[in-house]
Amino acid sequence: MHTIYYLVLVPMVYAAFAVFIVGSIVRMIKILRTPKHPTTLQIFPKKEPAWLHALSDTFLMPTVLKHNPLLWVFLVLFHGAVLLLVIGHLELFSDFALFQIIPHEVFIGKGLVGLTAAVSLLYFLFRRFTSPVRDISVAEDYYLLILLFLTVIFGSEMDWARRWYDYDVMGVDAYRTYLWSLITFQPQVPDEILFSGHSFMLVLHVFFANIFLMVFPFSKIMHTFFALPVNKLRRG
Amino acid sequence: MDAKTRDDLLQLFQSKLNRAMTYYLETCTRCGVCTTACHVYQSMPQAKYIAAYRAEIVRRIYKKYFKGQGKVWPSYGEAKELTEMALEELYEAAYSCTGCRRCMVYCPFGIDTQMIMSIAKLLLVGAHAEPEILTLLADTSIEKGKSIEFFKEGFLQGVKNLEQQVVEKWKLEAEGKTVIPVDVEGADLLYVALAGAHSIIPAAAVFNAAGENWTLSFFEAVNFGAFVGDPTKTKLILDRIVNEAKRLKVKEVCICECGTAYRVMKQLSGKQPFEVSSVTEVHARYIREGRIKLDKSRFQGPVTYHDPCQIARNGGILEEPRYILQHLTDDYREMAPDPRYNYCCGGGGGLVALGEETLDFRMKSARVKAEQVQKTGAAILATACENCHTQLENLNHHYKLGMNVQFLTSMVADALVI
Repeated sequence: MHTIYYLVLVPMVYAAFAVFIVGSIVRMIKILRTPKHPTTLQIFPKKEPAWLHALSDTFLMPTVLKHNPLLWVFLVLFHGAVLLLVIGHLELFSDFALFQIIPHEVFIGKGLVGLTAAVSLLYFLFRRFTSPVRDISVAEDYYLLILLFLTVIFGSEMDWARRWYDYDVMGVDAYRTYLWSLITFQPQVPDEILFSGHSFMLVLHVFFANIFLMVFPFSKIMHTFFALPVNKLRRG
Repeated sequence: MDAKTRDDLLQLFQSKLNRAMTYYLETCTRCGVCTTACHVYQSMPQAKYIAAYRAEIVRRIYKKYFKGQGKVWPSYGEAKELTEMALEELYEAAYSCTGCRRCMVYCPFGIDTQMIMSIAKLLLVGAHAEPEILTLLADTSIEKGKSIEFFKEGFLQGVKNLEQQVVEKWKLEAEGKTVIPVDVEGADLLYVALAGAHSIIPAAAVFNAAGENWTLSFFEAVNFGAFVGDPTKTKLILDRIVNEAKRLKVKEVCICECGTAYRVMKQLSGKQPFEVSSVTEVHARYIREGRIKLDKSRFQGPVTYHDPCQIARNGGILEEPRYILQHLTDDYREMAPDPRYNYCCGGGGGLVALGEETLDFRMKSARVKAEQVQKTGAAILATACENCHTQLENLNHHYKLGMNVQFLTSMVADALVI
């Protein structure tokens, strides 16, 4: 069993990041090497400066706010939560002075960040079960939401256990030892991580996260990178 | 479908995959915000009329043949084989989309459904499954470009007859000049009209009243190549006019009231030694410079204006028609919601050119447009596009709107103070 745990926590993590990084870069280079569209694709009235509006379209999603305010609320909550989750995970490597401008205890968000992401994902999933969104959905849309939900729920569980129920066997120091060893290519998995009561939660969290990273470059999640350039096309 | 045909069609598909198209195909998250954008969906709420659904029909074929997932795990994105049946689906998607790009205003990414539909249209052309009449019309235009000498005599005679009408109606002799000049080298402005007196006579009256040094193009502006989605034919039809403009060394090419022609000429012709303008822009300029004067009392009753999608949302001519209308009426009624969200008339993308064949669909799918127009309470419905005008006339009749549908140029000409 612990061999499987180890395989998920070390070799599979390396494989997942390799696929994610190489896959994303190769796909983006391939697209950037295709010829530009010969004409403008903007819509009018033109808004100047175009780049500023493209940025606002990308990060504030004004069209969603106008046409589906409830979806907008959950989209903002979800993407905000994802951003904080990324920061939270970076802090599981080491201290970053930048992130501590607003002082907080690692993991950031008192357990609420994961909860927000999980609830938003459930909303996205359930709205897909109803028409008309159901009619335009394909299997990918469900797979990705379920995969993300599983990743978030097992990850959050560890955070909630520590923050809300004083579970202290597997803590920040153990994560830092483990993650730092991965990034320095001297992998070592501390006993707290491999043999404690919550190990299987961590393993499941990492397992689903690995799958997600490996699917990322080949899925619609690439909108992470494409949202800005595609919005720029609309603004000219 | 045999393997050879499919390979040929996939080659055509590949030819469309530039950077913008790839972004459009890769980015959609099927969030559904575009659901209510389409006038067809609003009038007939069926999933197949949602922009994302239309796009997905093309996207599924893209996944099958241009993405690894189509080979490794086709059910992941519901990748779809290119078959006869798929062509039928592509037909329905492409020819129920008018290319108005209203969905682009809704999409959080700004995905251009018209552009994705251009793949569907090209595949249909490749499979000889496109509406034949559009190809036929495109070929006629191209043929005319090749053998202009053959058409010249008849055209010039036709123009002579029109001149009579201009002189009679406006009592207007262009001092020492022909009323409708053709083939004038060194003219300032080349006017590209449609094959129809209504597109030439009022424009001639306004040009002469403004003292413009103009010349009429031998060719009609409309580009059936663009309607049918054939890039080669679109270019050939466009080049006839570009070459004529270069030969006559004009400074400006002015496109008549035709949305497609304006957008194709403005955005597709590339960098040229002449400016491209719409006749609406030119008329607004004449008024601004005091070169023509209009009589406000000529038209009675409230007036509203329908923005042709290819000229307004996709071409940027929004302010000029409103400026002209300020000089034609004191009771201008804007449609709600504002022009950015203007509904397509329901006749774009070649649907009006297909005539009776599409009439039933056009009437049903544009119910929201008819309601939008009716809500203004206007007596006169002005527009600046031949297709829109035909479709709005049809809607006027079908929904018994009791409106007077007018071309903006005709209104300007009729209200000229001479």
